[in-house]
Formats: sequence, C-alpha cells, structure tokens
Amino acid sequence: GPDSDGGSEELVLTPAQLIRSLEQAWLNEKFAPELLESKPEIIECVVEQLDHMEANLKRAKREDLKVSVHRMEIERIRYVLSSYLRCRLVKIEKFFPHVLEKEKSRTEGEPSILSPEEFAFAKEYMANTETYLKNVALKHMPPNLQKVSLLKSVPKPNLDSFVFLRVLERQENILVEPETDEQREYTIDLEEGSQHLIRYKTIAPLVASGAVQLI
Amino acid sequence: GDLGPFNPGLPVEVPVWLAINLKQRQKCRLIPPEWMDVEKLEEIRDQERKEDTFTPMPSPYYMELTKLLLNYASDNIPKADEIRTLVKDTWDTRLAKLRLSADSFVRQQEAHAKLDNLTLMEINTTGTFLTQALDHMYKLRTNLQPGESAHSQDF
Repeated sequence: GPDSDGGSEELVLTPAQLIRSLEQAWLNEKFAPELLESKPEIIECVVEQLDHMEANLKRAKREDLKVSVHRMEIERIRYVLSSYLRCRLVKIEKFFPHVLEKEKSRTEGEPSILSPEEFAFAKEYMANTETYLKNVALKHMPPNLQKVSLLKSVPKPNLDSFVFLRVLERQENILVEPETDEQREYTIDLEEGSQHLIRYKTIAPLVASGAVQLI
Repeated sequence: GDLGPFNPGLPVEVPVWLAINLKQRQKCRLIPPEWMDVEKLEEIRDQERKEDTFTPMPSPYYMELTKLLLNYASDNIPKADEIRTLVKDTWDTRLAKLRLSADSFVRQQEAHAKLDNLTLMEINTTGTFLTQALDHMYKLRTNLQPGESAHSQDF
C-alpha cells in the first residue's frame, strides 16, 4: 500500500482503507463547528493514489467499460478530496484570527490544525483583510478609534453546537452537562454502532481520536 | 476498489453508483434487494405505525436505494408502484415521529439523545434545521445572563 513520507508515523493502508479514512475526515470536517487537525498523510496518499490511477488509465487499452469505470472512480475520489479541502478553507476564512492564534500558541507535541499551505493562506488572508479594513474604513475614523482587534471582533466557532455522531469505539462515562439550572449532570456510555445527538464540546476529543464519527 | 469479474448472465455485486451508471447505458439488469418486496415492506410499515419508537430498517440506505432503483430500474422491480407507496408511507410515519421527538427535545432542553434506528437520510433531512434551532436557543438563553460566558459579538 502507499507509505507516507515526511511523517513521524508509517501509515500503511490498503487503497480501500485510505479512501475510507478520507471519507471519515471529510464528514468530520463537514459537521464539526471548528477547524479540525490537518491530515497531511491522508491527503498526500490520496493524491499519490489518484496520480497512480491516472497513469494506469493512460497506459490501458481503449477498453470502453474498464476505462470509464476507473475514470468514474477517480472523479468520485477527487470530488471528496476537493470538498474536504474546500470545507477547511471556508472555516479558515470564517475564523481566521482564531485559527492563526491557535496555531501560533500550539505546543511542540500538539498536532497542527493547518497544513503549511493553509497556514500561508491564512496569514495572507489576515494581512489582506487588515489592510482592506484600514484603507476602506479605519483611516477615516477619529484617531482613537483606528485600532480594531480582529481576534475580538471576528466570531469564534461555537463549540456548544449540537452534532450527530456514530460511535466507532465504545466509550464509557461521558459526562453530559445540564442545559438548565434545574437539571443535573449525568454520564452516558457510548456503545459501538450507536448514534447520538449531543453537544460538540463534550465529544470533541473523541472526534480527534477517531472514536466517534460525525454524521 | 476491486470489481468484477463481469461475465454475461451471471449476477455480480457492484457499488450502487456503478450499477445505476451501467443500467443507464443499458448494459445490465438490476436485481432488487431482498427487502424490496411488498409483503416485507407492508410488515415494516405496519410495525412503524404501531410503535412509538423507530423500527430498525432493513437497510441503512432504504430510502436512497428505493428512490434510485425505482427511478432508473423500475422495469426490474416487480410491483414497483406498490413498493414506492409502501416506502413513502413508512418514511412519512418515521419523519412524523422524528419531528415530535425533535420538538420535545427542544422544549425540554435535553442535552443528549440516542437515535440508533434512524438512517442517515432521516437524520440529514431534519438535522441541520434541528441543530441550528438548538444553536439559536442556546444563544438566546446565554444572553439572558450577562456577565456569564456570553460574548456579545458571537452572532
């Protein structure tokens, strides 16, 4: 299977498992209110796989059925990959000061939420927005109103949003916080294969670890 | 993935997207799943109407498969019209139950719900509306108490 290079972990997956990982990352990203960890190993391997498949197609004889089926498969995978990357870009643009702040204050062992390309994009986006805001509005304001903290004014992702999830690995004693003052907190167990509706904040670490899948 | 071998006259299992594509190009005949049968679907519909809870469905993709197969391969499905009606009735009953559940979830300000027998199609049909409604409720509620974690710029 495809190996990842440049990562500290050796990721050896069958092509089917790789696509399954891509789909999982895609769905999680789609339904999570915040930007999730970047998955460079998956992206790299998928791109490699697509290149490999394209190369095979070029070499194949003009067998109508086989070629068209493989071409369809390539298009389907490409769609998922594009949708995944686009979803991330939307979130980066929406939450840019917070995303950059989180990345800057990341400790050494923590995984990155931005790929190097995404990081460069976010920085440029921030710089452009600041310049635009300054030139269009701020420099025309009275001197004491010319500073705007984008970190304070751009809305943060709402981690208290509700999400739907399916359990991949059994979890015990997940704490459910009460909504109202009259309610009490309680714990639940998450059985494998069960589906739930719950606040994102409670289960965010389970999404990151792959124990649950957002749906 | 791996597919085939494709031999004329012999049934082979393929992903639905490929099956529909081949059928559209008139290269094959589609074989409906076992549960796509009038008696079985009548049983399911009746049970769904009887119980307050959600019946486990024969396929997590029952709605999608029914729509696709009836749209593109109705000539391969015996009693297609009856099947269409039965599945629609079951779907309507389930969605009505889901709407009731969602309503009570919001009213009673629940923090968690278990939805094992719901299919993805049902969850995603009402899901966005429900989660956005819950978000709005949350914002309204937290803004009632100033000085808590409410941020006035969070819109």
